[in-house]
Order: sequence, then structure tokens, then C-alpha cells
Amino acid sequence: MSVSHLLILSACGLLLSLATAMRSSRAWLATSLAGVLSALGAAIFTLLSNGGWEWQSSFRIGGETLHLRLDGVSALFLALVAVLGGVVVSYSREYWAEAAHPRSAPRGRFWLSLMLLAMGLLLLCSNGLHFLLAWELFALCGYFLITLDGRLREVRAAGWLYFAASHAGTLALFAFFAMLAARTGSWELGPMQTQAELAPLFWLALFGFGVKAGLFPLHIWLPSAHANAPSHVSAILSGVAIKMGIYGIVRFSGWLPAPAGAGWVVVGLGVVSAVLGVAFALGQHDLKRLLAYHSVENIGIILMGIGFAMVAAAHGHAAWGALALAGGLLHVWNHGLFKGLLFLGAGSVLHATGTREMNRLGGLWRAMPWTAALFALGAAAIAGLPPLNGFVSEWLLYLGMFDAVNQPGAAVAGAIPAIILLAVTGALALACFVKVCGVVFLGAPRSPAAEHAHECGRWMRGSMGVLAAGCAAIGLLPVAFWPAVRSAVAAWRGATESSPAPESLTTLSFIHVALALAGGGAALWLRRQARRGGWARAGTWDCGYAAPTARMQYTAGSFAGIITEWFAWILRPERHAFRPQGPFPPRAAFHEHTPETVLERVLEPVAKAVLAVSSAARRLQHGRVHAYILYLMSGLAVLAALTFFWGR
Amino acid sequence: MDGLNLLVGLAMGLNLVALGSSRLPSLIQVAAVQGVVLGVMPLVMEPDFRWMAVLIAVATMAMKGLVIPALLRRAMRTANIDRDLNPLIGFVPSLLVGAAGMIAAVLLTRQLPLLPEHQESLLAPGALASVFTGLLLLVGRSKAISQVCGYLILENGIYLFGLLLIHSTPLLVEGGILLDLTVAVFVIGIIVDRIQRAFDSLDTRKLTVLRE
Repeated sequence: MSVSHLLILSACGLLLSLATAMRSSRAWLATSLAGVLSALGAAIFTLLSNGGWEWQSSFRIGGETLHLRLDGVSALFLALVAVLGGVVVSYSREYWAEAAHPRSAPRGRFWLSLMLLAMGLLLLCSNGLHFLLAWELFALCGYFLITLDGRLREVRAAGWLYFAASHAGTLALFAFFAMLAARTGSWELGPMQTQAELAPLFWLALFGFGVKAGLFPLHIWLPSAHANAPSHVSAILSGVAIKMGIYGIVRFSGWLPAPAGAGWVVVGLGVVSAVLGVAFALGQHDLKRLLAYHSVENIGIILMGIGFAMVAAAHGHAAWGALALAGGLLHVWNHGLFKGLLFLGAGSVLHATGTREMNRLGGLWRAMPWTAALFALGAAAIAGLPPLNGFVSEWLLYLGMFDAVNQPGAAVAGAIPAIILLAVTGALALACFVKVCGVVFLGAPRSPAAEHAHECGRWMRGSMGVLAAGCAAIGLLPVAFWPAVRSAVAAWRGATESSPAPESLTTLSFIHVALALAGGGAALWLRRQARRGGWARAGTWDCGYAAPTARMQYTAGSFAGIITEWFAWILRPERHAFRPQGPFPPRAAFHEHTPETVLERVLEPVAKAVLAVSSAARRLQHGRVHAYILYLMSGLAVLAALTFFWGR
Repeated sequence: MDGLNLLVGLAMGLNLVALGSSRLPSLIQVAAVQGVVLGVMPLVMEPDFRWMAVLIAVATMAMKGLVIPALLRRAMRTANIDRDLNPLIGFVPSLLVGAAGMIAAVLLTRQLPLLPEHQESLLAPGALASVFTGLLLLVGRSKAISQVCGYLILENGIYLFGLLLIHSTPLLVEGGILLDLTVAVFVIGIIVDRIQRAFDSLDTRKLTVLRE
């Protein structure tokens, strides 16, 4: 079977799933799984064959002939879409089931299938106009998926914010593609590095795709949308949808000539997103909002890889740039896998307890051992701990940056701080996930809801298991995935020579397998010891206090308090303390809330000022004819004066 | 040339009278007199007798001096409105602004690239001043009929500009303008009547609810 057959099969599967979505969930599941599996097949085939697939038809849409192309870069993203799409489709069958959501479940199935189809089209389109069509369709599907449960006010608000931000980005993309078409004379896309006059357009693309990717100052829509969407939608949004923004940046940084310094700007945005994303994550106590900020962080890491590749391309050093890009692109996969896993885990917690508030959870590992174990694996992966996949991609990125330090030139000055800040990010992410796992799964239940939690069903567990297996596979056998990444790196700027896997990657494989075996062996040994010796349960040391309650545990906020204090300059936490006073204090309370700094402190004041000016201008329209004539008169006078004094 | 300048000067003086008049009938009267003065101008401009000039003059005098004022007076009577003008801009300020506008018009005309034969004529400044006065009346008076008068004076200004081109403007265009004006006044007369019946007032300041 060739790529064309697989893609046709995939399109048929997804179209059939659209048709069946409203009626039968079983048929929908079968058809959409068939669709994504064939898409996965096509992507893998393209990645391994190291060549591109192209199809130019005479069929016209909007006056442009349909031109599809699947090369290494788009195949890499298509594979991710397919894997995560399939997992989420099977997860949603149980998570957003007909029984619990009779009205929104069929709609959810429809929009999910349409979104997968739109993303597939987006990755295949090689014509600016069709790209925009697919992009808009994809963005609209996102809106309808986020607002599936539109009865809640905050869900609708999050949907609107997503809609507005998405369209601000799309506006930039319209300008980008229109100007590109105007300057090249055709809507066809493809490599055009030689046309130096196209370079400034890269900034428009960076803004338009950056909004979708959620890089730091443009991430405003991301936390609320991810937190308020149904969890399987959050997994799709975070795992795949924001990657479409990354795809755009990768694609057009490869195809267009880069303006001077663009690489450093991308690196800078990446570093800022990484560090501040994790800092904001530490300040959250809503489980899904915290995970959403980790998406900002990981987008930052991916951008650092792309940025260093652009710097390397600008300096003519291919080798270390290829390593950094490989790290970034592999992180696209990895982030999709572990963030999907984490969001699905958070969905299971939400499903079982009905709350996302971490301070109302606790002790869930007893009731939900599978979810707890899989979530912990995802947490270890996102924190970049060996032997999992997060470590592998960050390792490649580190390798690229270390090689950059060895090069003569300006790259050193940028690479050293970037290395340090990437390490800081990793450490903070670890701290953050220690907090999440500790507060949510360990300790004692903080509310009746957490006490009566139950494990999720087979479909949800199985879906999470697939993603966890993916995380472990990339972590243990990175060499096996190198050819795929290599072909994407080669397709980035149309290079023909493909770099061999770095030797350390093989070593890393061995070390990881050894680590995993040692860890597994140690666990087995401990278990046998425990069986032989028997368990003895005892209370933890409680400072001599005889009657501890669950409320005396560390809260999410107090656990991260030391670190959030370091970032108080940007987090600006709002604290309301009512301290106990006097010998018989009546009531004491402490609230802490981390606002959306960029949205609430920057964007909202600006928007309010604009609104104030607009409503002041509205006062000019009052219906008094005399004043309207006066406007005409003064307008005429000004025009006359302009032509008289300026025109001569 | 001197006779023409005298007439234009008269029209400019009538502008000031219009700005200063405080009652509706006198405002209509001023507009009518200005119309007659304007009607005489083509006869003065053409030393030799020509049918076309005579036709224009007669038509202008009849329309601006008789028909339109009669229509306005009739509208005023049927609507039975208060004769006071209720100025939005007071009479003294309007007079001062009008006089300043007149001076500005004269100064501005000196800067305009006019034909040599029009350099000495007051036609261009008179036209500008009349347009300005008309706009000032439109902005500064609240009654619908007084606004019609402002509109008339504004049109007189445009007519004065037209006189600069009397040798090249076809009669038909001139006639068309006059006809338009008459129809407009006619329509306004009817509307004024209807507004009066519907709202019991002709103060355009009270029509603001119609803005959306």
C-alpha cells in the first residue's frame, strides 16, 4: 500500500466517522480509529522512506488547484495527530459517554472527528489559500469542542477568549499568506529561501502561529481553555492543537528566508516561555490549569530547539543546529505523549471526584492505583527524568547547545544562558510535579469527594496505557525513533544529507534500559521482602499532636510557596489573610490566588482604555442635526485647509 | 463691474441681516430679497442683451424671490409655529462669526488662482461668505424652517460661484439646480407639516430619538 492509498483510506474513515458520529458511538469509534490508523501508517511510511509524497490535482477549490504534500516535517506532526487522536477517541467513549452527557456526547464526537480531519488537511495542504481554509476550520472545531459543556459561564468565557485570541492570530496569518502570495505571485507554498525580500514576513507568521502555539506573552487564551474544556479535549488541545502553531513556525522558518536575528528572538521567546510557564504552573492550584501552564513551558523548550536551529542555519553551522532541531521536534512528540497522558489522568481524577481543585483532593492512589501510577509516569516524563522520553529530547537539545558553545562566534553568549535556564526549567518542573503527585495522590483525602473516588474504566485506563507505553518506548529505545526525526530535520530546509544518530544516543539507550531493569528489579525485590516480612502500619510522626486532620496537610499553595515567592515579581499572587487574633480567635482564613498576569494586568487595562475611548467617541453620535452639520463643516474646512496648504 | 460688485456687496450685507434677524418671517424676507438681488446679477454682468441671461434672471427672481418664500410662509402658517427663532448660537456671536467669516473669505480669495477678469470682482468672496453664512444658520438655528432658510442662503453662495462660469454653464444645468431647490423646499414644507402634526413641535433638537 502506498501513501496515497493510506491517505485516501484515512480520509474515508474520518468522513464516515463524521457521518456516524451523531448516531452510533460504536460505529464512530471503529471508523475514526480506522481513519487515524491509516493516517499513522502513511506518516510512518513517509518518515521511514525518507522521501516526500506529493499530489497535484486539477481539482480547484476557490480558484486554486489542490496541491497536497507530505514530507518529513508534516509526517512527523501527522503521526502525532494520529496517535493522540486515536487515544483520545477511545478515551472519550467512556469519559464523555452518552449516559452522562446525552446532548453533548454526539456533538463532541462530530467535532472531534472534524478537528482531526481539519488538522490532517492543514498538514497536507501546500497552497496558502487551502492552508487558511483548513486552519480556520480547525480553529472553529476547537471552539466548539471547548464549549461542549456550554451551560457553565466560565466555560463560555474560556471559549470566547479562545475564539478571540485564535482570530487575532488568524488575522496575522491572513496578512502573512496574502502578502506572500502578492510577493511571489502565487498561492503555492514551497521552499523559497532564495527570495530575500520575503524575510520580514516571518514576523507575521511568528505572531500568527505563536498565538496558537501559546508562547509566553501570547498564551492568554491557553490556561482557561485547557482548564475548562472536557479533559479529552484538553489532551487534544495541548497535545496536538498547539503543535499546529509549532508546525507553522517550523514550516515557514524552513521555507522562508529568516530575517536577521530571528533565530535569537525565537530562542528568547522559548526561554521566557519555558521559565515563566513553569513558574506560573507552580502558582496554580487548579490541576488542569497547572498542566496548561506546563504546555507553555514545553512549547518554550520546543521553540528553543527551533530557534537554535535557525541561529545555526544563519551562521552556516548545520551539525549542531540539526541536533537542536531534532531535540525540539522529538519534544513535539514527547510533549504530545506525556501531556496527553497527564490530561487524561487529570480527566480520570475529575471523573472520579468532580473537582479540579487540588486542595480538595488527596490520597487518591488508594482508590485509583492505575491512574496514580500512569500519572506519576507522565509526571516523571515531563520533568525530564531518565529513563523516559522527556529526558531524551532535552538531552538532544542540550547536545546541540553544548556543541554551539564549542563553536567560535556569538552563539556561545546565547547558548550558555539558555543551557542554564533550560536546566532551571527542568528543576522547577520536577518541583511542580512533586507538588501535584504529592497533593493529589498521596496524603489523606481532603474532601468527601476525594474519599469516595473510584478507579476509571477499561477504555480510559487503556488509552492512558497506550500513551504511557509511548513515553517508555521513546525513553528506552531513542535510537529506534531517530530515523523519523532525522527525516523531519532533513526536510526542514530541504537538505539531502542525513546525519547519523549521535553516538551518545545509543549509549543513552543502554543506560536507560539498564536503569529501567535495575528499577524494576529493585521494585520486585522490595515487594518480595515486604511479602516475606509482612506490612506494619503506623501513624506518621505528628509532633506529638494527637488529633491531626486532613486539613493540616500541606496545601498546593504552601508546598510551592518558597518557589512562587521567587517569582512573585511576575506571578503577583493575591493573598487575603484573616489571622487568628486574641485568646479566643473567632475565625481565621487564608486565600491565595495567582492571577493571569498578562491577561489581567496588561491586556485588560489596554482593552478597557480602548473601550473608554470608543464610548467617548460614541457620544459624538447624539442625533442633533445641527451638530452633524457642524461636523461636516469642520471636516470640509480641514480638508480645504489640507489641500490648500499641503497640496501646493 | 462696479454695479456687480455693488450687488454682491448688498448680498453680503443681507447675509449679516439674516444672521441678525430674530424672527422667522424677517429671515424668510431676507432670503427672498437676497434671491432677487442675485437674480438681477446676470443682467448687470451681460452688457449686451441676451435671451439666455434674461431667462436666467427672470427664473431666478421668480423662484427665489416669490415661489420659495411663498411656500415657506405657507408652511409656517399651516404649521402654526412660534415665530421666535430660538438660536443655538446667539445673535451677537453669530454676527461676529459671520463678519469674521466674511473677512476670511476676502483674504482667502486673494490666495486663490482666479482668472484675471475675476480678480477685481467680489463674486468669489461673496460666494464663500454666503456658503459660510448658510452653514452657520444651519448649525445655529433650531427651527426646521429657519434651517431651510440657511440652506437657501447656502445655495445662493453656490449660485454666486456659478456666476463666475456664466459663459460656460449651460442653461439647462442652472435650470436643473433651481428645480431641485424648489422641489426640496416643497418637500420640506410637507415634511414640516407632518412633523408638526406628529410631534407637536418643529424643534429639530427634539428629533434626537431618531438617531439609531
